[in-house]
Amino acid sequence: MGRLMLVAIILLCSVSLGHARPIAPLDGLEALRKAFAGITDFTADITQEKRLSLMKRTMTMTGTVRFRKPDLFYLEISSPYASRMVLRDNTLEQVMAGGDRNRMVLPPEQGLKRWFSKIAVPITSVPEGMKVQADVSGPVYTVTIAPQGKGQVRELVITFQEDGTVRRLVIAEQNGDRAVMSFRKVRRNVGLAEKDFRLD
Amino acid sequence: MLIILKQLFRAAVLICAITLFAGCAATTRTALNYRPGALVETLSSPISLSIHATDSSMGGHGYLIFRRPGQARLLILSPFGTTMMEAFVADGRITLVYPGQMTAYSGRLEELPAKGGLQGWRLMGWVMDAEPPGDKSLNGSVERTARQGFKEKLTFENGLVVSKVSPEGDQVYYDKYVVINGVPVATEVDMRNSRDDRVRMTLDEPEVNTPLEDAAFTPRLEGYTVLPLSAVQGL
Repeated sequence: MGRLMLVAIILLCSVSLGHARPIAPLDGLEALRKAFAGITDFTADITQEKRLSLMKRTMTMTGTVRFRKPDLFYLEISSPYASRMVLRDNTLEQVMAGGDRNRMVLPPEQGLKRWFSKIAVPITSVPEGMKVQADVSGPVYTVTIAPQGKGQVRELVITFQEDGTVRRLVIAEQNGDRAVMSFRKVRRNVGLAEKDFRLD
Repeated sequence: MLIILKQLFRAAVLICAITLFAGCAATTRTALNYRPGALVETLSSPISLSIHATDSSMGGHGYLIFRRPGQARLLILSPFGTTMMEAFVADGRITLVYPGQMTAYSGRLEELPAKGGLQGWRLMGWVMDAEPPGDKSLNGSVERTARQGFKEKLTFENGLVVSKVSPEGDQVYYDKYVVINGVPVATEVDMRNSRDDRVRMTLDEPEVNTPLEDAAFTPRLEGYTVLPLSAVQGL
């Protein structure tokens, strides 16, 4: 009886833990594309952790995000870093805790449209200058993209479900800094409108 | 646009320096139990920053470290948590680093182009000319000759400097400060210059007088294109 219980526990554990199975880079990218193909928008609670190489502690911010294809992103950070921002492709508008309002234009390569256009059509080959690794564990995919060369980003890791639910986004920089954005309470295709991306 | 942002960013770094070099007194409504003479030797803190000029603005969250007498590093994060820009100041030199473009600008402070927005750095010596907080009963304003040779107006509250005004009309206000291990540290700093540019910075749970490694103040520029400060314009 005891042995039977042990076997049952081992089986349960192996099922619940799940083992990530490596898949071909192209399959990972295609899984990413397909997952997002069915998404028009989503909302989520987030935790953003920033570990700077010069810090002995981690900056942790919590808040909510809204996203709508192709290029609208809203981020509201709770205290003590209270702020609200909307990124419209590469134009960032921001309201800080004191009510100060800022507007910035980021470099074009940091625009949302550019990134999402890359996964808007079927991917037939791994883009040049990019090293990709991917694995799958049940319905959860993890795709690691490492741009080759001397850019700021050393590695981008996105963990998502096949239904398009994003779980985690990790951006590792060449300087050793690392930002992790974890998503909770993700609600997909909720019909976000323009008014949901206003700061007023 | 980008030029203005860069200039504003420099002003923001200046504010950080002001905060720290000044030993950071701040407006206080009730007297704080600080240690007279206690100085900020080192500081590290997450920050929120908001910068406004007449025709542009920027802001964000980031991190600041400082070591007396003249080393500072200010970092601003993008919304996704990557580093948008950094400034390193040490030994009279400044290096502005833009990881997104893999470009840095470096040189001596006096090599900064004489353009609007850069005047802030010329105040560096003035704002670094700090003194430790003194008599806790000191209130009111005094006018005196700064070491740089011009008249400056300082306002004290409960022994702490709550504002400084330069003859050119640059103003710095210190507010909401806390006492950490006996050392008063401003957690809000507001600077306005004569052209109505404004920089507001908030520190969150700063750590004071903890050891900081030399490497933290040294930019790592492997793979970067490093240009002189004179090239800042036009980017």
